[in-house]
Amino acid sequence: MGNDARKSSVARPRYRLLDDGQIERIHATTLKILEETGVRVADPEGIRVLEEAGCAVEKEDIVRIPRGVVEACIESAPSRIDIYDRKGEPAMVLEGRNSYFGLGTDLPTTVDLETGEARRSVLQDVVNAARVADFCPNIDFIASFALPGDVPTNTMYVECFKAEVENSTKPIFFTAAGKDDLEYIARMARAVAGGMEALRQKPFLIHYSEPVAPLTHSKGAVDKLLFCAENGIPICYIPTVLLGASGPVTLAGGITQANAEALSGIVMHQLKKGGAPIVSGWAVVPLDMKSMTYCYGSPEVRLTNAAFADIYHHYEIPCWGIVGTDSHVLDQQAAMEHAFAELLAAMDGANLIHDVGYLGQGLLGSPASIVMCDEIVSYIRRFMKGFEISEETLALDLIDKNSPLKAPQANFLAERHTLKHFRTEIWRPAVCNRDMPDAWRKKGGKTYGQRVVEKAREILKHHSPASLDPGVVKVLAAIVGEARTGLEGKKFNA
Amino acid sequence: MNKGRYFEEISDAIVNLEEGRAVELAERAITGDMDVLEVIEKGFGTAINKIGKLWETGEYFLPELMLGGTIVQRAMDVLLPRLKAQGKAATFGKVLVATIEGDIHSIGKNIVATMLSANGFEVVDLGVDVPVERIIAQAIEQDVDAIGVSALLTTTMPGQKALVEAMVTKGVRDKFKVFLGGAAVNAEWVKHCGADGYAENAIDAVKLIKEALRGSSKGGK
Repeated sequence: MGNDARKSSVARPRYRLLDDGQIERIHATTLKILEETGVRVADPEGIRVLEEAGCAVEKEDIVRIPRGVVEACIESAPSRIDIYDRKGEPAMVLEGRNSYFGLGTDLPTTVDLETGEARRSVLQDVVNAARVADFCPNIDFIASFALPGDVPTNTMYVECFKAEVENSTKPIFFTAAGKDDLEYIARMARAVAGGMEALRQKPFLIHYSEPVAPLTHSKGAVDKLLFCAENGIPICYIPTVLLGASGPVTLAGGITQANAEALSGIVMHQLKKGGAPIVSGWAVVPLDMKSMTYCYGSPEVRLTNAAFADIYHHYEIPCWGIVGTDSHVLDQQAAMEHAFAELLAAMDGANLIHDVGYLGQGLLGSPASIVMCDEIVSYIRRFMKGFEISEETLALDLIDKNSPLKAPQANFLAERHTLKHFRTEIWRPAVCNRDMPDAWRKKGGKTYGQRVVEKAREILKHHSPASLDPGVVKVLAAIVGEARTGLEGKKFNA
Repeated sequence: MNKGRYFEEISDAIVNLEEGRAVELAERAITGDMDVLEVIEKGFGTAINKIGKLWETGEYFLPELMLGGTIVQRAMDVLLPRLKAQGKAATFGKVLVATIEGDIHSIGKNIVATMLSANGFEVVDLGVDVPVERIIAQAIEQDVDAIGVSALLTTTMPGQKALVEAMVTKGVRDKFKVFLGGAAVNAEWVKHCGADGYAENAIDAVKLIKEALRGSSKGGK
């Protein structure tokens, strides 16, 4: 036995899908796509930076990126991104296998917390999601969650950002229609952080944007990508490949195509500003060949997520994660898919795990779903913590002391050792049932789904997020006012 | 030639997704100087219906639908010129499809376009990122029966409403049925836009448009 009796170690769950040879093969095939097949870049500035770095441009917008350029950009992308909260306090260190969980954006329909009916999302749903998530201890970042149908379309992302920043201190993951509204959002963020340099130093926001499969960077996407690079706004630039529809049906082909899309995004971003913060990964998702829908809750999504986590850990670039369920209500399917997705994303070591609480194929939201997932993440965090193996935790003396020989009526409950460790060793749920059958019935015999709805209502009734400085609130209102005029009738680039 | 046997052969070729054989059978109609309209209806039309049935019963999935649809299109490429030369049309109607301005997502639109054309519609596909004005101008110029407009990005969905509004302004709203597509489109949105409908999937889209154009199409049937 070589183990030093005094040494302490931690037993921690971990999971890796790809071995080194598999990573190398996918990487080499990706480089071949970039170097020989090429990608379409529908933006002159994107093409300019690529051409300047030595990429060949053909037929106006097809760009071939040499291996050396790709590898230099993987190298220059930072391996650690520090994200702060609205108050400038450290909130997330996107690095290594650190996992953070947060909301997703833009759900057009919301399950009303009072009526239980699905209806068109409104701005108040953005407010509600921010407040519920602000309360939930395991939700690390917020996002619009709802896509408000009751505000002008051209300013909806600007209005969402204001609603989010005013109703939670947590970091904000956000979308924009184009560079034009993104500029207004950046102005708001600067007002909150205390200026451009303060925001650059302590970003509390991450922009989300995406290319279009197969192998196409739209003008709008590149505009936003390069704007973020220049302005030091962290960006999550993520391709979506629908297996068998916008990419090969085989998982290996789908992820390799997606990797070419993701890496060409990183290349443009790093060429524009070396060292600028970018989070990568992909959504490689099955198209259900019967219902023709996008399957969030599928096992294939877990495999493709695990694959990018392994590859981006190898690249040493922070990666996102995607979770969510295809169920339209908080039923058994929702709980199953939420739990599998979030657990496996944590096991993957994904850094920025978003879409927590998503229902119905990314079309439906519910504040109660956020509460359900908060507890699932709490469970996962306990699981991922593992346990310590040391002299203290092995507790040999205690076992000996309470052995049948020495203590015929052994009882560990009154031991100091138990008192010292039980709170940290043993997880307790906040909403899950642990009552005996009669006690559970006496409390109304409610399901987990019913209890999370009640808890969400309670949170909205009683939780008040830390308020924003009234002077800043005024500035934000003024910027939104300007945006309403400035963006009226504006057509955003595809 | 035994016509019944010939139509069965066409059906077999399509259902078994044999492109070469399907095109060969179409060519036989030309060389044999057969009634092309009958070949289209009883041969290829029956075949695509069979594929649709197999999809409904859960035996066939989207790839079979799409490949089957594409093979029927290849056969139609052989048959339609002859039909035109005979001054006839074999169409349930003419449908213009496009992805709205600001959006370059094409897959949903392409699935619907393939299914429509395999099911006997004439399809005018304007592609992606198409401005409202161009959709209307083309609908008028090409004298279509219906417009199908897709928007995947929620930021571009208002373009669907703008299309209907522009049609009203130009006084052409009654000339064309308007159908909406995109993952986030639902009945409430269709009503909000003042459009004529949407479908949950490409097969239902064909049924929807067939039903809507029954008796009203300019195409012939």
